[in-house]
Amino acid sequence: MSSIGTGYDLSNSVFSPDGRNFQVEYASKAVENGSTSIAIKCKDGVVFALEKIVTSKLLVPGANQRIQTVDKHIGVVYSGLVPDGRHMVSRGRSEAYNWRSTYKQAIPVDSFADRLGSYTQAYTLYNSVRPFGIATILGGVDEDGPHLFMIEPSGSFWGYHGAAAGKGRQTAKNELEKLDLPNISARDAVNEAARIIYLAHEDTKDKEFELEISWVSASETGGKHQHISAEHLAEAKKFAEQATSDEDDMEE
Amino acid sequence: MEQSPINWGRPRDDIYGHYSDAISQAPNTHSLPKKHTQQPTVTGSSVIGIKFDKGVIVAADTLASYGSLARFDNMDRLTQVGDSTIVGIGGDVSDMQYVQRLLEELEIEENYDNSGDQSLHSENIFNYLSKVYYNRRSKMDPLWNAVLVGGVDSKDEPFLSHVDLLGVTFSSPALATGFGAYLALPLLRQLVPYPDSYKNVTEADARAMVEKCMKVLFYRDARSIDKYDVATITKGNVKIEKDIKCKDQNWRFAEDIRGYGRTTS
Amino acid sequence: MFRNSYDNDSVTYSPTGRLFQVEYALEAIKQGSAVVGLVSKTHAVVVALKRNAEELGSYQKKIIKVDNHLGVALAGLAPDARVLSNFLRQQAMSSQMVYKRPLAVSRAVYAIADKAQGNTQQYGRRPYGVGLLIIGHDEAGPHLYEFLPSGSALEYRGAAIGARSQAARTYLEKKFDTFPDLSLEELIVEGLNALRDTLAQDKELTLKNTSIAYVGKDTPFTLLDDDKVVDWLAKLDGVSRKSNPRPTGGEEAAEGTTTEGEPAAAGTTAAATDAPADAAPDADTMDTTE
Repeated sequence: MSSIGTGYDLSNSVFSPDGRNFQVEYASKAVENGSTSIAIKCKDGVVFALEKIVTSKLLVPGANQRIQTVDKHIGVVYSGLVPDGRHMVSRGRSEAYNWRSTYKQAIPVDSFADRLGSYTQAYTLYNSVRPFGIATILGGVDEDGPHLFMIEPSGSFWGYHGAAAGKGRQTAKNELEKLDLPNISARDAVNEAARIIYLAHEDTKDKEFELEISWVSASETGGKHQHISAEHLAEAKKFAEQATSDEDDMEE
Repeated sequence: MEQSPINWGRPRDDIYGHYSDAISQAPNTHSLPKKHTQQPTVTGSSVIGIKFDKGVIVAADTLASYGSLARFDNMDRLTQVGDSTIVGIGGDVSDMQYVQRLLEELEIEENYDNSGDQSLHSENIFNYLSKVYYNRRSKMDPLWNAVLVGGVDSKDEPFLSHVDLLGVTFSSPALATGFGAYLALPLLRQLVPYPDSYKNVTEADARAMVEKCMKVLFYRDARSIDKYDVATITKGNVKIEKDIKCKDQNWRFAEDIRGYGRTTS
Repeated sequence: MFRNSYDNDSVTYSPTGRLFQVEYALEAIKQGSAVVGLVSKTHAVVVALKRNAEELGSYQKKIIKVDNHLGVALAGLAPDARVLSNFLRQQAMSSQMVYKRPLAVSRAVYAIADKAQGNTQQYGRRPYGVGLLIIGHDEAGPHLYEFLPSGSALEYRGAAIGARSQAARTYLEKKFDTFPDLSLEELIVEGLNALRDTLAQDKELTLKNTSIAYVGKDTPFTLLDDDKVVDWLAKLDGVSRKSNPRPTGGEEAAEGTTTEGEPAAAGTTAAATDAPADAAPDADTMDTTE
């Protein structure tokens, strides 16, 4: 960060002499501080999971959901500035709608990632806007099966077997790599996702958090993206608590 | 004779000289004016609906005609929207398909961030459709349909309403569009003569009457077919039965009527 | 020269990924007088403290009705709140016009939250300078949301924003477990109790400075002012701020650095519910000016 304060970091769309776009890098900082979100591509679908730090016990438990649906078959979760995430989802919904009115069919997931990637990139081009302070994780099931992508504030995106963003991403990535992806079933992926969020939370253990999980799977949800049921969530939590406490025992 | 319809009704050039477009600020008169739909092309015929004590039955045959040609015999004209509503559409089929896409988008958006604080009841869908049709007729570009919306409303009461290409809305315990309004409605009204009569009608009675109506329509409506879909909506349940055949047809009567069957004077 | 130069507009991130203009907008809320909101199983209530700029001037309205089932209470720039509530009224009318149904509370809140987000990402605009507590009733029951200029919108069981609102939050955190089963009347009184805790030492709730609004199933949004709050004020116990006594003299305690959403007891349920009555003084760290 030696170039901080030399003036090249004060405006979006400006390169520093060594070819960096500082405002985009700073936007990534907002992502890194955000709460952890992950997604797993499984055999016939995608599972999303999110750690929500409880900033006040006056918040209504279970409300304030943050994993959102685009069209019927795509789920989106993000880490970073939450309002920016909602903006991204709104844009995603209009993209999906426009695709439908043109082609009379649901948007393929890769085309969807492409469109949102371009949109994100456009916000690095002008000094009249700021880049998105989020990493967007999107996935869904289309004719070609399940797909999972993650878009960074720069607009670049890749396809993933397992994706993680936010504070606990490093722990999460380590755990995701241990899984047998994408051969895992959707139900197992839900449990693993819960466990990984619990594990990734260990670094900020002093803060309470809520777990949010959604999925889209050909066999389990008929290709529609939706939150898992309350009972299923409780089950996943139990699994995660059990698994993480076992791990603690092993360390001690 | 002047062959080009564009020039019909205009002052004659040999009497008045060539018409100057500038006078009326009209776009050049040698191109066709913008035209909106003035008649339907491929059409579906009647949709009929009746309330009974616990819900509503809606039915429509599966024929799409091109003029008097029976062009498609497998057209679905009943669409489920949300979990307690059926929309049955008659009239222009391409307009019907456009409306079905509007309804699909409506349902997609309804399911965004839905945490049970809002649901799409029959009256909401009907109200939305009535605005769509009225808006289009106000642009002088109507969607050429007649529509029945049947289902269960927010108070769990049977709901049945009608809206057409003019945006006219109407509600009754028995409704029918197209030829059904002449041929089926009188029969349906035998079961439900008054607004509250449906409370004493069982599903079986309503169903029997609907089947009778579909048969009568097949007998007398030349743009109909003897294959139809029936949707039955009760609280928390929508049942769609496809490709039902008109049963116990008896064309004996036709022999006595001029124009049917045998060509005698 | 090397003053913080990342805080001039809302399209510049600081090196740590913060948006100072947005954070400053959140401060604007604290310049406004306090509003408190809370919900039971059946009703949602907001109460607000009104201020007048001068002796002969009227008191600034703090609560705005949006529809029969929806209303907002504001802290911060009142004109911004009027813009937002006018927008909400349009949304509510449109819902009624097109779908013949009341606008769901969450839809209303997210509509303005998404609008507010736009103002934090585009040059030449400023974030809204107002926080809102939105109460309403829909198919899922009563709701209370907090709207912030950052574009954040969160649903709460009890919430307070505005000057010295930490004191009210402390009160709410202590009592919220009991809220779900309270009657409307008890809920309003609890709201007033919390609001009273935000007052400076020499101030009291009066018929002139207090606004009350409530909504519920079969209870349309109702706003009470002036004479109509007298009976409610009478229901408060005679002893001022009994629940939250302050140490005398220590009024001008050091300006707190605590920010929103960081109650001392977050995370440790037991600590907050069992906090002794005098555990609140550090709540009283905010600006005492009107």
